[in-house]
Amino acid sequence: MACKALILAEHEEGVVRETTWELLGLAHRLAGEAGWSAGEIKAVLLGQGARALADEVAGRGAAEVIYAEGTAVEHYTGDGYGKALEAIVKAEQPEMLLCGHTPNGWDVAPLVAAGLGVSALTDCSAVAFEGGRPRLTRKIFNGKFIQVVDPGGARPLVATIQRGAAPAFAGRTQGAVRQVTAAVGEGGLRARFVEIKKGETGSVDLTQASVIVSGGRGVGAPDKFPVIRALAEALGGQIGASRPVTDMGWLPHEHQVGSSGVTVSPKLYIACGISGAIQHIVGMRGSGYIVAINKDAEAPIFGVADVGVIGDLFEIVPALTKAVKAAKGQA
Amino acid sequence: MKSLVLVKQVPNADSAFRPNSAGTWVDESNLVFGINDYDRYALEELLRLKDSGKVTEVVALSVGPERAATALRTCLATGADRAIHVQDAALQGAEPLALARVIQAAIKDEGFGLILAGLQADDDNYGQTGPLLARLLDRPCATAAMSLALVDGTTVRVERELENNRLQVVDLKLPAVITVQTGINEPRYASLKGIMAAKKKEIRTVALGDLGLDPAAVGGAAARLRTLRIAPPPKGKGAEILKGSPDDVARELLKRIREKTGVI
Ligand SMILES: Cc1cc2nc3c(=O)[nH]c(=O)nc-3n(C[C@H](O)[C@H](O)[C@H](O)COP(=O)(O)OP(=O)(O)OC[C@H]3O[C@@H](n4cnc5c(N)ncnc54)[C@H](O)[C@@H]3O)c2cc1C
Ligand SMILES: Nc1ncnc2c1ncn2[C@@H]1O[C@H](COP(=O)(O)O)[C@@H](O)[C@H]1O
Repeated sequence: MACKALILAEHEEGVVRETTWELLGLAHRLAGEAGWSAGEIKAVLLGQGARALADEVAGRGAAEVIYAEGTAVEHYTGDGYGKALEAIVKAEQPEMLLCGHTPNGWDVAPLVAAGLGVSALTDCSAVAFEGGRPRLTRKIFNGKFIQVVDPGGARPLVATIQRGAAPAFAGRTQGAVRQVTAAVGEGGLRARFVEIKKGETGSVDLTQASVIVSGGRGVGAPDKFPVIRALAEALGGQIGASRPVTDMGWLPHEHQVGSSGVTVSPKLYIACGISGAIQHIVGMRGSGYIVAINKDAEAPIFGVADVGVIGDLFEIVPALTKAVKAAKGQA
Repeated sequence: MKSLVLVKQVPNADSAFRPNSAGTWVDESNLVFGINDYDRYALEELLRLKDSGKVTEVVALSVGPERAATALRTCLATGADRAIHVQDAALQGAEPLALARVIQAAIKDEGFGLILAGLQADDDNYGQTGPLLARLLDRPCATAAMSLALVDGTTVRVERELENNRLQVVDLKLPAVITVQTGINEPRYASLKGIMAAKKKEIRTVALGDLGLDPAAVGGAAARLRTLRIAPPPKGKGAEILKGSPDDVARELLKRIREKTGVI
């Protein structure tokens, strides 16, 4: 069977990553739109001793799983995965290669794209066929706008897909698994996996907090954080931060909320001077009640907040601190 | 060892963003431009390696219109030794892969041991120029570095940022291409002395023809990808917006916090 949509089945610590099922869900929908058969949806799974995972993918959405095995792809490296995946894509000649927009999916997709003579479309939030032509939607300017892209004649289309862009494939399939040896070419690999390790940790644990007051770049300077701290203390909560705040050393890394920080779900989350980039939102959207204070009415944070104030945090936050203290009889 | 940092000039985040008249990109006339944040961290990483004697030269390269020279001048003032500016009107609208080909051509005779780029550009948010270039050069690549160290003259050890506060440690054989994540270091600023010294440093400006490239083949005219439209992001469920004086909105916020969360 020819291959129209090829997806990269990522796995980690012996588990197929959720993004794989979403990519399969997306591929099935796109096949419907483009008039492809479900038999033309294939997956690639790279690994060593991971046959059982390939079987699982064949049962949950892929008509065929190309399971490329080898010590060169036992762990992810751009070099190993890139070479093995590029060889498979060249042999399969799909219309599209879909990878998750994960740290490794985002690393490997452009490597393979360049090998195939195309650019990648990264971090896509939607893919659809309109009038028989693929259209990809992705954010630009860190979420201030989205763009809709026509890939023109570039084939295969290589894209990385954001988490949640499509519902996971929910059906069952009886796909085949074709085991091959991961082809990483002559001359050996120039990248060597060493280990996965934990990043810095500290004494603050935001995951347990029931109230978090977070400050972003809009706070402006480290010496202005007392305004955030005062509200957090009045509410008996913890201080959170967006990435720039911890990058610039205004607060230690353990305060960072988001995809590369902690995921939190307090009863109350107050975002002050935070624009609401997707990487921040994924870390706090599970909060019970979200308040956003931002001077920019267009800031995406207002899209996830329950209640918002458009204004200067240095006016609103102290007023709220005062009101909270008064309510608690501490004024 | 000679090293290269790729630098893009992008609009500052707090610029006044408006779609252009065609609705296909932002209107650039009202924007204030500066060095892409990620690239400042990449430059700093190389300057530190130079300070410790591990690299001999730091070269900054930017592909962009005339204004991009300002970004390169800032790199020189901050400590880069020289700069290459690829400037050609035909590059307007060029595809990411074409841009990588242009960079490849511009550094053909340089023999860089370490090539650093930003993880992503704050305008197009692609995060692909580094790996595209690595593949064209057939060299290993690692993205989202939160640390990098030369193990010896042949190997660089990179800690890549993964999710959930984890890092992947990987060794790459040199020459290698690495993209840098923000927060890897604390970038220095240009000193007055640096600004003076930069006046004597070289920015070599080259056009596509000088690189032996055909503008019709790599420029915007050859681009397959096309932006059909841009739009504000979907609003989601959308927040209830409170209006009034700070004390008024504080009172209303307090009321809702009490009703909805029970934390007070
Ligand atoms: C791989 C990757 C991982 C990432 N991981 C994370 C992560 O884990 N967490 C994270 O937060 N980010 C993360 N980011 C960064 C993310 O993309 C954004 O750059 C970041 O979240 C922006 O932080 P910010 O909202 O504080 O800053 P900006 O986007 O600069 O927003 C500042 C906001 O403050 C407002 N403001 C300014 N002054 C005031 C004032 N006086 N009163 C009220 N409002 C004001 C402005 O209107 C603006 O909306 C990651 C990025 C990448 C590429
Ligand atoms: N026009 C350019 N000139 C020089 N470097 C660039 C250019 N575009 C992108 N880069 C580099 O590639 C990185 C990632 O950009 P992008 O792939 O566009 O997200 C940037 O942080 C820069 O280091």
